[in-house]
Amino acid sequence: MAVKTVPGRFAFDRDGILILPAATLIIAALALPAFRDPANLANVVRQAGVLGILAIGQTFVISAGMLDLSIGAITGLVVVLSSALLNGDAALTLPVVALMVAVGAVIGMLNGVLLNTLRLHPLILTFGMLSVLQGAIFSFTDKSVGRTSAPLAMLANGDIAGVPWSALLLLVLAIGGHLLLAHTRFGYHLMAAGGNPESARRAGINIERIRFAVFVISGVTAALAGLLLAGRLGTGYPLAGNGLELDAIVAVVLGGTLLSGGRGSIWRSLAGVLMLAVLSNTLNLMNVSAFVQMFVKGLVVIGAILLNQPRRASS
Amino acid sequence: MILTRRTLLALMGTTATTLAIRSAFADQATDTAQTAKAAETVDTSAFKKSGKIKIGVSAGYLSNSWVVFALQHVRWEASKHDVSEVIVTDAGFNPAKQVSDIEDLLRQKIDLLIYWPVDDASVANVLKRAVDAGVPTVQAGGGFTDAPGVTSNAYISQWKLGEMVARHLMQDIGGKGKIVAMLPIAGTTAAVDQLDAFNTVAKEYPGVELLSAEYGDWNRAKAKQITENLLQRFPKIDGVFSPSGQMSIGMAEAFDEAGRLGETVFSPGDEYNGWLKWAATHKQGGVVTFPTRAGQVAVQVGMDILAGKPVTRGVAVPSVYVAPAEIGSLVAADRPDDWWASQLPPEFLPQ
Amino acid sequence: MSVAATQATRLQLSHFGRYAIFFVLAVIYVAGLAVSPAFAEPNYILNILRQITPVGIAAVGVTFVMILGGIDLSVGAVISLTSVLTATVMAGDVANLAPAILLACAVGLCIGLINGIIVAFSRASPFILTLGMGVAVVGLTQMLTGGTAKGIVSPGFREFFNFRVGGLLPNLAIAFLLLVAIGLFIEKATIFGRQLFLVGTNRATAVLSGLAVRRVTIAAYAISGLFGALAGIALLARSGVSSTVAGQGLEFQVLAAVVLGGTTFEGGRGGIAGTVAGVLVLAIAFNLVNIAGLPYQMQLLVMGFIIILASALYGQISDLAD
Repeated sequence: MAVKTVPGRFAFDRDGILILPAATLIIAALALPAFRDPANLANVVRQAGVLGILAIGQTFVISAGMLDLSIGAITGLVVVLSSALLNGDAALTLPVVALMVAVGAVIGMLNGVLLNTLRLHPLILTFGMLSVLQGAIFSFTDKSVGRTSAPLAMLANGDIAGVPWSALLLLVLAIGGHLLLAHTRFGYHLMAAGGNPESARRAGINIERIRFAVFVISGVTAALAGLLLAGRLGTGYPLAGNGLELDAIVAVVLGGTLLSGGRGSIWRSLAGVLMLAVLSNTLNLMNVSAFVQMFVKGLVVIGAILLNQPRRASS
Repeated sequence: MILTRRTLLALMGTTATTLAIRSAFADQATDTAQTAKAAETVDTSAFKKSGKIKIGVSAGYLSNSWVVFALQHVRWEASKHDVSEVIVTDAGFNPAKQVSDIEDLLRQKIDLLIYWPVDDASVANVLKRAVDAGVPTVQAGGGFTDAPGVTSNAYISQWKLGEMVARHLMQDIGGKGKIVAMLPIAGTTAAVDQLDAFNTVAKEYPGVELLSAEYGDWNRAKAKQITENLLQRFPKIDGVFSPSGQMSIGMAEAFDEAGRLGETVFSPGDEYNGWLKWAATHKQGGVVTFPTRAGQVAVQVGMDILAGKPVTRGVAVPSVYVAPAEIGSLVAADRPDDWWASQLPPEFLPQ
Repeated sequence: MSVAATQATRLQLSHFGRYAIFFVLAVIYVAGLAVSPAFAEPNYILNILRQITPVGIAAVGVTFVMILGGIDLSVGAVISLTSVLTATVMAGDVANLAPAILLACAVGLCIGLINGIIVAFSRASPFILTLGMGVAVVGLTQMLTGGTAKGIVSPGFREFFNFRVGGLLPNLAIAFLLLVAIGLFIEKATIFGRQLFLVGTNRATAVLSGLAVRRVTIAAYAISGLFGALAGIALLARSGVSSTVAGQGLEFQVLAAVVLGGTTFEGGRGGIAGTVAGVLVLAIAFNLVNIAGLPYQMQLLVMGFIIILASALYGQISDLAD
């Protein structure tokens, strides 16, 4: 890593980006009483759940120096498959969940294998995979199919003592992800591989295995996100996953993680997700038109990029 | 990214094989059954409210001119009542966002919810929550929806629309010939019902052959592209079944550029301004309306519900036929193609 | 094997890599002929060309950026915006034709310049930057139109572009070929073109050797923006009416075509000739899916497979040639 700062101290070029989510939250909380309403806050968190899970997975991918464009399609596939298989039957919930996680893992493995053997650029590979999966979803159905089960719907929409279940799920996954990324040898090797593959290889790190594992993690998180999304929608809408991959990447970048790899933090990515959710919510509360919201979102992304400059002598 | 209808269009299309659930709206019998169900009365006593009303509009999408006009009709009708404000959310063709939007609207304590869905099934749960919270819901402009979360509908029967269009086309081509059909997004109620209505009518005319049914997704450019391919595949096309005016224009241009406009007859389209201009100039086709005033009717029904008056489960917004000769009065020559004939007063027209 | 022999093989392989796409084009064309005799008719081919023109024009512009090692994901949004702007300014009046086209080009150029400046002067990733720019531009387009497609095309505009010279060659296709020629000229015959390849191959070296890397970068993105605008105008010419989101999703088709043509993400190789071939391959592939009566979503599957296969092939070839 190139940035030499004292860990724990606020360094503007590295942490400046976090001003954005913090500012958004503070301004919203101060300016809009409607925002502070606990029911609204719960809504915001609930709405951010799916993207949050995806961002966790994508953090691993980006830290490893790659991008996974197929996660939206994996999510969509899981939404459709899980709803079709469950068809409202709560008893099938656990087996279907297990199966969906397996599906996500298998697609991730496929991505990993293809990447390692065909030596494709991850963008190309995952984009191709996205197209293939979308085609597959549409061959299966062109309109909403099936129904999700009550437990999943409860997970996505319900809460316990005012705290949404999806928030708890997200927290658990985030803690697990953080431990994996920042406190294990695997995570350390991942960062090394992402930051400088050549040095990492020379140091004896098995880059191919890392990349393979990263894609599996990405696939599994996409599957989990799909199950949550199905709970949110209540049914298997084929286009549910569209565009989510780009939103996830944006969220990770908003948190200050660089696309060049070697750096990444689950909490930062969640900050990015939160910021997007808060922004969307605030603009909705202010009755800003969806068109303006889109424009603002674009400006925010550009602004975030400008605020977040890698400090390297050479790229 | 941004889910717009056009992004959808890039991705959707005909399905050759599906394990699809059979559509619940697929034939004349269903249409008749729907009409019967629509006539049922709804008990609105639970929703009665007095004082200023806050209306929430959850738009599944606002990215085409039809819904923009429908929304303006909503605003127009709202202005005639004791309405404090009209809050509009746009889900941008994202059903998960529409769920969130409706949750947000409920939190803002609306009294009435008008909506058009991205996907009926996806919002069924949140609509039920709205009704349970005492907020009546009225679906505007789509097909008739019978669900616990939908209090009433201001609906347009795509089946009846398709039937009218088909009958007039049959008349105009003299009851026989080779036809191509251009339909909206595959899998939508509109597409399914329109095609079924056509097939039902065509049964009465054994001399009519359907060469191909295509899905142009309400996209003029896409319809044009598909038609160019059709013109290559089929040396002779006698008639075009296309209830959507904006797709009809694209098709007409394709025929024109291939020099084959004279060989075919166009069915009536809707009151899309571009189509109106074309039909008025070429004196064929005519119009079967796809009324944007469904938005207005939705608000009327909603206000009735809030007043505690009895309403039916569905209020049909009927399509009417306008012959080519009478189109002159509908055309707005100085307006863009992407415009709809309507009775909106000038201050409510889209800017 | 002797050193000279292996070097010769490597050279052969790298040449093969460069021309592979043309080979693929020939193969897929023959496949097309096998599926439908219509492929032998010039009219049909020109039709396909007309359909793919907007993507093709945009792809030419994006090629410049990708040779540099960058990427432009905002091109779809630029197409939508310029398409709408052109129609709005035209307002149905022939007199407005020139100002409309000029304004659209200026807007495209501007957006490209902004992209280029940010990429050149910061270390921002072009991927996320142009993505954000694309989102902003789409929002802007929607804001300007309020959801309805504004503007009326000048009479004669559409007719002019779809008019066939000699009853055969549509003006739109001629415009496309002209732009391709201009692009090829810039790429092969100008210093700028050579600089693009140099920077793309090894940025550090280019900087050290005193190349005005920033200027080259800005210019490349500006060109991409300009060609995006031209593509928007072409789209308007094809469809006759603007649509607020006509260009959406096109950036991925453009990307696919460019990568197919041999210009990879790493930069420093490829070129417009390959891009055009890539565009044609995609167009024929889509058309084949259509003609064969396969459902539309098969297009997606086909596109996905083609991209993966082609990229894998290029990867193998470049491996062997290294």
